[in-house]
Amino acid sequence: MRALSYFTFKDLIHDRWRSMLTVLSLGVIVTGYLLLAALAQALVMLTRQAQVSNNLLIVAAGAIDPQDSSLDEGILKTALDIAPGQILQAFPIIFRHLTIDGHILQVRAVGLEEMSTALGLTLVQGSWPVGTRRVVVSEGAAQLAGWKIGSNVKVYGTDFQVSGVVHSAENAFGSVWMTNTEGQSLFGTRRGFQVGYLSLAASANPESLRLKLQADPRIAAQATIYLENVFTNDYNQSTSNLVILSSLMVLVSLLAITLGIYNATSLHLAERSLEIGLLRVIGFTRPRIRGFLYSRALMLTLAAYGLGWTAAMMFIAGQRLHAPGGLVFLTLNLTPFSTLLGLALAAGFACLGTWLTSQRLASVNLRTGGE
Amino acid sequence: MVDGSGQPNLIEAAGVGKVYKRGSEEVIALRNVNLSLSKGEFCVIVGPSGSGKSTLLHLLGGIDQPTQGELVVNGINLVKSNEAALTCFRRDNIGFVFQFYNLFPSLSALDNVILPLLAKGINWKDSRARGEAVLEQVGLDHRQKHTPAQLSGGEQQRVAIARAIVAAPCLVLADEPTGDLDSASANSIIALMVDLNQRLGLTFMVATHNLNLLKLATCSYELADGMLKAGPGA
Repeated sequence: MRALSYFTFKDLIHDRWRSMLTVLSLGVIVTGYLLLAALAQALVMLTRQAQVSNNLLIVAAGAIDPQDSSLDEGILKTALDIAPGQILQAFPIIFRHLTIDGHILQVRAVGLEEMSTALGLTLVQGSWPVGTRRVVVSEGAAQLAGWKIGSNVKVYGTDFQVSGVVHSAENAFGSVWMTNTEGQSLFGTRRGFQVGYLSLAASANPESLRLKLQADPRIAAQATIYLENVFTNDYNQSTSNLVILSSLMVLVSLLAITLGIYNATSLHLAERSLEIGLLRVIGFTRPRIRGFLYSRALMLTLAAYGLGWTAAMMFIAGQRLHAPGGLVFLTLNLTPFSTLLGLALAAGFACLGTWLTSQRLASVNLRTGGE
Repeated sequence: MVDGSGQPNLIEAAGVGKVYKRGSEEVIALRNVNLSLSKGEFCVIVGPSGSGKSTLLHLLGGIDQPTQGELVVNGINLVKSNEAALTCFRRDNIGFVFQFYNLFPSLSALDNVILPLLAKGINWKDSRARGEAVLEQVGLDHRQKHTPAQLSGGEQQRVAIARAIVAAPCLVLADEPTGDLDSASANSIIALMVDLNQRLGLTFMVATHNLNLLKLATCSYELADGMLKAGPGA
């Protein structure tokens, strides 16, 4: 074992420039694999099925983007009238996509209390937007725009002050939150609100209630009722193709690692046929020579994987990627599973490539190998 | 067959022939070769290029197999051996010296020398100790860490000879060992081989154009058109 490692290392050092180029080229592919794996995982997290909730959303009929919806307060009263006792809370949400400080962000206006209760926002820094011209911003939006507590933010031509940074487990979109009062003052009342939020009693059956509300002609004429998780999932499906594409790219990267190692080993075998023939003349058996080739390929793979992993970690460290315009935030995270899976597959495929290449050992001509 | 001392001959070849196929054409490299060689001999084979000298050494060394005849070396029937058995035969019985040295350029002189020991499964420490001792025997103990590129042709051939004898083979096959050397280096290599033969009792079979070797040989053969006959000095 010591001799095998020693001679493999000597050989790689002797051929140092080519070894370095091989490690570098494979390292780039490994970096690509690890980043794509992290991206695919982040996209899966983004588009994962929302947890089943006991809540319903009212959106104007035909609108898939909440911004295109327009509703008035009457519809919330109608819903409460249809199912008294089953709806604990009904409140409006004003919703807009706006460019703020050069970034496309969601602006949502809701009641101050509903932010933390029904909508599940948690305060990470600062305080809730009590008082006039105050907003809280999501973590992604704060990082993207560089906002801190006390920063001035111009929303729709009006200056606001950031009073807090919030986290939402269910929302990957960069967003700015203000109270309903501020929202009405900023956007006016002509378009009413965009989403009605119905928080249901624990005893209520969400699907039955949804069907009941949807069947009422006063609602059916102007709105569609969604289960909250269904609406969220429909909205998130816009990125599902990216998940498939990223997953395919992960597989392509693994294939590229395999072919890279195969080519490196194949080239080595072709160029060293004299030396390999000589080893056989001296008395090294085919399995032992194959062991040398495995050892060489694994050393190259491990070095390339280490380099690729380091590069990927440097890129990922503290990074949050965002889609063009900054609307969607993805937190890249390289899990031990995907790291070890990639390493195991790379090593496995390196061995497979070496095994395929080393089938040619049988045809090495010892007469020409020896001389 | 046994030699004069009652020991079995090291090499017994009877009616050995070798035919290569080159496409549809058959090339006869050796015809009906009969050869006996005792242990401790310094045997020289001369003949023009293409006469079959290298082919004969390849057969004797288990690199290739005859297409006809019987060939036994050190009691092992090489005609009936499979590839794995031939590999073991080479490892345990044969040392090779080539015209162009065939050293590994990435390895030091010592690393090159210990390869046959590692092939035999001898441990690292013992291999290096044995390699150092053999390099001293060929006069290169001060060049252990040098790579082939840092050695002269004569020194490289000394390393190759050290590699050939390090595992104590019963037969050393040398194919034109002085063919790539100047006359001074060639004489030095010849002297080294003769010395190893006389001092250690190693059996040498040397294929060469160098007729000076005939004077030092204990037996000689001449090959012409694949046919072996007693050499000029016999």
